[in-house]
Amino acid sequence: MLVIESTGISDVGRKRKGNEDALLLDDSMNLFVVADGMGGHKAGEVASNIVVKTIHDYMKRFNDNSSEVEELEDSDNSLSKYANRLVSSIHLANKGIYGLSQTNESYQGMGSTVSAVLFTEENLIAANVGDSPIYLIHDGSIELLSVPHTVLAEQAAIDPEGARKLGPHFRHMLTQAVGIGLTLKPDVCETPCFKGDILVLSSDGLSDKVTPEEILETVKNEKLQKTCQALVDLANERGGDDNVTVIVLKVKDKKNKKGALRGLLSKIWNIVYNFSFK
Amino acid sequence: MPTLTLKFKDSVISEYVLEKEKSLNIGRREDNNIIIDNLAVSGHHAKVDSVGDGFLLTDLQSKNGSFVNEQFVSSHWLKHGDVITIGKHTLVFKYKEGEARTEAAGPEDMDQTMVMDTSSYKSMLAKSSPGTASASPAAKPQEKEPVGILSFVSGGDGEKEILKKLFKIGKASTNDIVVGGFMVGQVAATISKRPGGYFISYEGSGSKPKVNGNSVSESVQLKDFDVIEIGSVKMHFFLK
Repeated sequence: MLVIESTGISDVGRKRKGNEDALLLDDSMNLFVVADGMGGHKAGEVASNIVVKTIHDYMKRFNDNSSEVEELEDSDNSLSKYANRLVSSIHLANKGIYGLSQTNESYQGMGSTVSAVLFTEENLIAANVGDSPIYLIHDGSIELLSVPHTVLAEQAAIDPEGARKLGPHFRHMLTQAVGIGLTLKPDVCETPCFKGDILVLSSDGLSDKVTPEEILETVKNEKLQKTCQALVDLANERGGDDNVTVIVLKVKDKKNKKGALRGLLSKIWNIVYNFSFK
Repeated sequence: MPTLTLKFKDSVISEYVLEKEKSLNIGRREDNNIIIDNLAVSGHHAKVDSVGDGFLLTDLQSKNGSFVNEQFVSSHWLKHGDVITIGKHTLVFKYKEGEARTEAAGPEDMDQTMVMDTSSYKSMLAKSSPGTASASPAAKPQEKEPVGILSFVSGGDGEKEILKKLFKIGKASTNDIVVGGFMVGQVAATISKRPGGYFISYEGSGSKPKVNGNSVSESVQLKDFDVIEIGSVKMHFFLK
């Protein structure tokens, strides 16, 4: 089991009246979610809250050992069962929002991004839809684990030169979002993590204003509990045009005594082996 | 709804009505909505998407380019009276008389996050862009997306594709590659596929995996033709 230190803030920013972002920090389940809602009036807020709540409730069911939860049939065999559960929870949120938007006129066209991180015994699973980034900081370098579903990013993958000509108004045009249609395809990444690794999840209110390098610097210089506020302050100093939500997670320890003992034994064996057979 | 009128020099060839939430593909091949049979036109030359209330022309990296009012464009919000030139043909964009016109969306609208809702656009991107992860569960990996391959040098035969996001190598039978040997951990190493590429990690039990002769104690990114050694197994990694 991994021990995770977590902290998160959601700030309305300087320009917007309401906060359409939502976040979830569940330390007992090691589940962390940022959702950035969109849609007029209060619809964006509704959508992002449904995302967070649906994922939380769905994932919680697997933690209650009392009740057997059936795994979904259409699981993706390139993913672990934990990753499949997380993907299923996102699909469920999608159906919920889409359903609601079809029945209620004021909710028409609402949607949300989602960026979720779940830690299993040894690995981390990052899943996302939309443009809320998930960064992994390992060994002094920062890397994007999420895949931005924006026209600009997807165009840049095909043709960087053409993407530059697209202009800034494409920056906020998503190619998919939770709740917009009946189908969606979250991007998923599963990877081992190590003691000292840091993850940063945010809404685009941060990533529009603060570069990955600046996030890396802030994480290096601030204590974990102060990092979120420092990043939010930075985004607000630069205009705070949008809601800013940040979650920072640190892998404190891998509680795997058996592994450690095995590691030690194997080291001894390695020496003996090298000594006696070479 | 506005129309596109296809012309060659001064003669009108055809007229197409644009619809909300529908895309029109323009090109030489027969799977386009607007087919222009001329060698100056690329197979899939350009497309017009319905975005919000407006219509957006995007050049699909055509060989000879797309022009609006004699200006080269890669993408352009269509306005009433715009003349699109593709090869020697022109397409005139016009709203009907009295119809509500959505001229180019202003920057203030664009600050709001929007979702592009044309599925054809998505499939086009999915087909042509590397790095946008694999399609639906049942689908095979897309042709253009490179897949990591492990090719045995010793301790095994043939090749193995890394189709899982988290690919495990070790002694236990649940691994994707099972490696025997006294020093090999139950899960000796994992290879994870991230947006930035493939990474090999040591899982903390047994002897460490080696990449190009160097022990891996946490994780490193794999490059083409790296040599991976785990126990008695030696493999090449490459992208195909």
